[in-house]
Amino acid sequence: MTTVLGIGFTAPWLLIGLAALPILWLILRAIPPAPVRRRFPGVALLLGLKDDEATSDRTPWWLMLIRMLALAAIILGLAGPVLNPQQQAPGRGPLLFVLDADWAGAPRWADRIAHLEAQLAEAGRAERPVAILALTAPEPLQFQSADAWRSRLPGLKPAAWLPTEAQLAQASAEVQAATENFDTRWLGDGLAYPGRTALIAALQAKGALTVYETGQPVIGIGPASFQDGAIHLTLHRSRPGAAREVSVLAQGLDPAGTPRVLASTPARFEDGVLSADLALSLPAELRARVTRFEVQGQRSAGATTLTDDRLRRREVALIAGRENREGLELLAPLHYLQQALKPSADLLHGGLMELLPANPDVIVLADVATLAPAEQAALTDWVEKGGLLLRFAGPRLAASDVSRAEEDPLMPVRLRSGGRTVGGAMSWGAPKTLAPFPPDSPFAGLPIPADVSVTAQVMAQPDPTLADRVIAALTDGTPLVTRKDLGQGQVVLFHVTANAEWSSLPLSGLFVQMLERLAISSAAKPPSAEELEGTTWRPVQVMDGFGTLSDAGTLPGVDGPALAAAPLGPDLRPGLYDSGKRRLARNVLGTDDVLIPADWPADVPVETMAETPERPIGGPLLALALILLALDVIASLALGGRLLPQRGRIAVVALALLTTLPQGGLQAQEPRPQPTEAETDFAISAASELTLAHVLTGDAKLDDIAEAGLKGLSDTLFFRTSIEPAEPVGIDLEQDELAFFPLLYWPVTPNQPHPSDAAYARLNAYLRAGGMILFDTRDADVASFGAASPNGRKLQELAAPLNIPPLEPVPRDHVLTRTFYLLQDFPGRSANAPVWVEAAPPDAEQIEGMPFRNLNDGVTPVVIGGNDWAGAWAVDRNGNPLLPVGRGMMGERQRELSLRFGVNLVMYVLTGNYKSDQVHVPALLDRLGQ
Amino acid sequence: MITAPHLRARAEAEAASLPPLLARADQLAGTVLLGEHGRRRAGMGDDFWQYRPAQPGDSRRMIDHRRSARGDQQFVREREWQIAQSVMLWVDRGASMRFASSEALPQKADRARLLGLALAILLVRGGERVGLTGTTLPPRRGQTQILRLAEAFIEDAATDYTPPEHRAMIPHARAVFISDFLGEMQEVELALTKAADRGVRGVLLQLLDPAEEDFPFQGRTIFESVGGTLRHETLKAGDLRARYLDRLAERRDRLNRLCRVTGWQFGTHHTGESAQSALLWLYRALDGGSR
Repeated sequence: MTTVLGIGFTAPWLLIGLAALPILWLILRAIPPAPVRRRFPGVALLLGLKDDEATSDRTPWWLMLIRMLALAAIILGLAGPVLNPQQQAPGRGPLLFVLDADWAGAPRWADRIAHLEAQLAEAGRAERPVAILALTAPEPLQFQSADAWRSRLPGLKPAAWLPTEAQLAQASAEVQAATENFDTRWLGDGLAYPGRTALIAALQAKGALTVYETGQPVIGIGPASFQDGAIHLTLHRSRPGAAREVSVLAQGLDPAGTPRVLASTPARFEDGVLSADLALSLPAELRARVTRFEVQGQRSAGATTLTDDRLRRREVALIAGRENREGLELLAPLHYLQQALKPSADLLHGGLMELLPANPDVIVLADVATLAPAEQAALTDWVEKGGLLLRFAGPRLAASDVSRAEEDPLMPVRLRSGGRTVGGAMSWGAPKTLAPFPPDSPFAGLPIPADVSVTAQVMAQPDPTLADRVIAALTDGTPLVTRKDLGQGQVVLFHVTANAEWSSLPLSGLFVQMLERLAISSAAKPPSAEELEGTTWRPVQVMDGFGTLSDAGTLPGVDGPALAAAPLGPDLRPGLYDSGKRRLARNVLGTDDVLIPADWPADVPVETMAETPERPIGGPLLALALILLALDVIASLALGGRLLPQRGRIAVVALALLTTLPQGGLQAQEPRPQPTEAETDFAISAASELTLAHVLTGDAKLDDIAEAGLKGLSDTLFFRTSIEPAEPVGIDLEQDELAFFPLLYWPVTPNQPHPSDAAYARLNAYLRAGGMILFDTRDADVASFGAASPNGRKLQELAAPLNIPPLEPVPRDHVLTRTFYLLQDFPGRSANAPVWVEAAPPDAEQIEGMPFRNLNDGVTPVVIGGNDWAGAWAVDRNGNPLLPVGRGMMGERQRELSLRFGVNLVMYVLTGNYKSDQVHVPALLDRLGQ
Repeated sequence: MITAPHLRARAEAEAASLPPLLARADQLAGTVLLGEHGRRRAGMGDDFWQYRPAQPGDSRRMIDHRRSARGDQQFVREREWQIAQSVMLWVDRGASMRFASSEALPQKADRARLLGLALAILLVRGGERVGLTGTTLPPRRGQTQILRLAEAFIEDAATDYTPPEHRAMIPHARAVFISDFLGEMQEVELALTKAADRGVRGVLLQLLDPAEEDFPFQGRTIFESVGGTLRHETLKAGDLRARYLDRLAERRDRLNRLCRVTGWQFGTHHTGESAQSALLWLYRALDGGSR
C-alpha cells in the first residue's frame, strides 16, 4: 500500500490519470453546449439574421470546474484510498487476549470487538495460535487458530460488574496453569479494580504484556434521590478532562405502556471536575412513571440507574359516599383526609371507574357502602394487584348490609349491625380513647394524644381471624383499625368516619401519622444494611453490561445486608429486587461510589486502541463524483435554457422532495375516542334545557305511559312554576349519559331486564353526584318492597346493586311535603301507599318552637313508592288525562294531588333543602331587627 | 380514403368543441352590448321612428290613418332606418397561429377564433350580415350563420403562414382580418389594396403571443416554425433579441402605414391580455368605421 499525504492507496497508478485533467479541460472548453430546439412562429422574422460572434457561448469556468472535480473524484476514488492506514510489526508464538469485559467497556463494545477482530486477523495472517480470557467470566485457556476464535467473538458480552477478586484469582490460576509461554494483549476498559497486580505478574512471567486502552473517560451515573421536589442525580467520570455536556434521559412507560423517553436534561462536567450534579424537576405523574435514568450515548450498566419506590409520590384517590354536601366543608367526608394527604401525596378525585385506570396507589372510600358488581370486581382486581384500599366507616356503612352475614372481600372484618354510640347523652360511659398500638402494628410506636376520643364506631363481629387483623384498638379492646391482605394488596378499615363526626381522631396529628404509616410509608433514603438485616430479596429484573433489563429467571434470592453492601458480582447482579411489597433497586454505582481510572505498572506498555480504524474512502469519493455530475446536469440544463422557463416545475419537484422527507419520529398518540354525533346531539339537547327522563323498561306500553306521564308533569310545571322543562325523554341505561337529568322516573315491571354491571356503575355514579331516581312499583299496596308482589321482588333485585342509604317512610316534616305545595300524602292513581325516602340522620332533633326538625343536609337519592304516579300524570297530545283516576270529583282531586306531588318532587330535586333552611328565617329576621 | 364512420367520428369530435366556443363567444359578446342599436334616423326598417306631417309627394299609401284620424292633419309613419352592413371575417388558420409560449396562455388560433366568433355574434345581434371572405361562406344574417361560422373556424390549415383571403369581396362591405401577420407582407398588401379598390374598409388585428413580443431566449437555439417548414439556428439567441424586436416593430409599422393608406384600422392584441378588451376595440373600430 502506498501512502500519500497520510492516505494509503491500493492502486496508486491510477493517480496518473489526474495528469489528463488539464487536457480534458481544453477539450471540453472547445465544445459548445448542445442547441435547444424551439418552436417559434416568429422565426420568419429571424431568417437571415447572422450571429455577431462566430463562436458560441463558452461553457462557463465554474461548470468546467464541477466537471473536473467530478472527474478527479472518480480517479481518486478508483485509486482505492484508505484513511488511517495501519501497519504493525508482526510477532511470534501464541497470543493471549485478555478482556476486562465489564460494564465500563460496554459503550464502545463494538469498537473493542472490531479491534479484537483486526488483531485476530493479523494473528491469523501470522499463523499464531490465540486464546481469549474474559476476566468477568474466566475459563481455562484454549490456544486455537484465530479463525476459530473469530467465529466466537459475537458471544463475548460485557458483564454488569467489574471483575471480582475471586474471578481474578481464577484467571491468575488459569494463566499459571498454561504449559507454554505466550505474549499477552490486554484490552482494558479503563476502570481500576482490586486484585489486578497478581494477574499482571502472572502474565508478565509468561511473556510480553501490552495493554490497549481507549483513553476515553468512563461515564457513570449514581442513584437518583428525591429532595425538595426535584430528582437529584450525580454523574461521574473516570478521568478529569475538558468541560463536557451529556444528556441524561429519564426512561419510563407512557400511559399506553410503551417505553419511551419521558424527559431529557443536560448535565455539564466542568473543566477538570470528575462529577456533575443534576436536579430534575418532573410532574408527579411523570416522575412516578420513570423507571430508569441513563446517560445518552453511554450504553452501559454503569451509565444507567434504576429507580425504586423512593422516587414515587403516592397517588391517592378519594371517593366519598355522598359528595354534594353543598359547601359544608368541615362536614365533608373527605375534608380531613385532603388536609392530611395534600402535602405528601397526589390526590385524585372522580368516579371510581374513571380513577381505576389511572392506577392510583391508594383508594380511599369514605363511607361508601355498596358498590356495583362491576365496580366491586374492578376494585378487587386492583387491590389484588397490589393496591391499598383504605375504607372509613360512617352512617351509611353502619346502616348497610355490607359484610354483615359474611365477610365482604373488600372489608377486613365482618361488621355488627348498626354500630354503637358511646359517650352520648343517652348512653353510659365516657367517649373511648385509643389503646397503645400493639408492637406488630404498622402504627407501633406512635404517641397517642390524650384528647383523641371516639364517640361512635362500627363494631366488628368476633371472628377467629379478628385478632390478627386489628392494628389499632380502643381502650376497651374494640377494634378501631383493621386490616387484611388481599392478593398482593391490602384492605384497611377505619371503624370511624373520616370527618370529625364520630371521633376527634381526624383532628389530631396522630391521624396524619397513621396515614403516613399506611399509605406513604416509602422512605426517602436508601435503606442501610442494618435495616435490611434478616430480609431476603428476590431478583425481579437484572441488568446486563449494556444496562438492558431482563427477567431474572431462576436467579437465587439475596440477603438484605448483602444487597445493600456487598460488591456486585455474578452472585449479586444489578437490577430490581423485591421483598414483600417493597422494591429496591441495586445499581452499579452507589451513592458514594466514584470511578477510579486504571493505572498500570511502569513496565507495562500501554497503547491507545486505534480510535480511527482503517477506513476506505473510495466509496464516498465516488458518491461525491456522482453528486457533482448530477449538479453538472442541472447546471448544463440551466445554461442551455431548458431549466429556466420551467421554474414552476422545479418548485414542484423541490416541494415534492421536501414533502417526502421523513416526517419526524414523533408519533401522535392514539386520539381519544370522540363522542359520536348522535351522542353529542343527545347531550346538547338534554343539557340545554331541563329535561325529565324515565328509564326505558322494554315494555312499550309502559314506556308510553311513563313518557305521557312526564309530559303531563312537565306541562303542569310549565303552567304553574318557573320550571319550564323540555319534552321528556326515555333513557337507555346501557347507553345514554345520565348526568344531564336531575330526576329519573323508573317504573318497575316484573320482566324488565337487569341493567349491566357497567350501567349500575354509572347509576351509582349518578346517585353519588346528586341524581335522584323515583322508583314506582305501580302496585299500590306492597310498595313496602316486601316480597309480596312480583313488582316488589323485582324492585329489590333492581335496587340491590345500587348504593342506597337507609330508608324511612316520608316523615311529616320532610322537605318533600312543602317544597311548593303543602302536602301530606302523595297519591298517584293509587293512594295511601307509603313513600320511602332516605332516613333522617339519627341525631336530627326538633328544636323547641320550630315546626320542623333541622334536616339540613342533602337530597334523598331515591324515592320509592307504588302509587303509579305516571299513570295519574299521563296526558294525551291535547293535554287531556289519559287514564282514569278514582271516581268523579274525588278522582280529579286525587289527580291534582298527584300532580302537586310531582311539582314538589321536581322542586325538591332542583332546590334541595332550601325549604328546610326556612326554619332559620325567624332567627335571621330577629337578627336583622337588631 | 375517408370512410363514412371515420368522417362521422371526426365530425363528432369537431362538433364537440363547438358549443364551448360558441358559449364562450356568446358570453364575451354579452359583455359588450352597449345599447347602440339602430341607425337613429328614418329609413327602411321594422321599428317605429316618428310621425311626420304628410308632405306633398308622399304616396297616399304611406299615410298612417290611425294617427291621422285623431286630427285634421295627415301623418306619415316613419320607420327607423335599419340597413344591414355586410361584414366579412378572415381569421388566420395557419400553423403559426397554433402557438402558445406557455401552458397558461391560449393558443393564438384559439384567441383569434374566439374574437372572430364573438364579433360575429355581436354583429348578428346588431342586425348585420356576417360571413367569411372568399366564397365559402358569404355574409348572411341570423343565428344559423353563427353556427356556420363556428364550423368554418374549426378548420385548420397545414401551411405555416396563410395569405389573407381576398377573393369575392363584396364592394363597400366591411372586413376584419385577424392574424399574426408574420408571413409574407406582399400578400397582405395585395389583399388590402384590392379591398381598397372595391371600397371595402375594415380592421386589421395583429394577434401575438407575449413571447413573440419579448423574445426571452438565451443560448444556442434552433428556432423552428410551427409547421416545421422554416428553421433558423443561432449560437447566441440573446444577441438576436434587439434585431428581432427591430424587425417586429418594422413589420408593425409597415402594417400601420398600409392601413392608413387604405383607410383601414390597425390594432395589436396579445394572448396574455384579456380577450374582452380586444373585442371591445374591434367592435368600436368597426362601428366607428360604419358611421
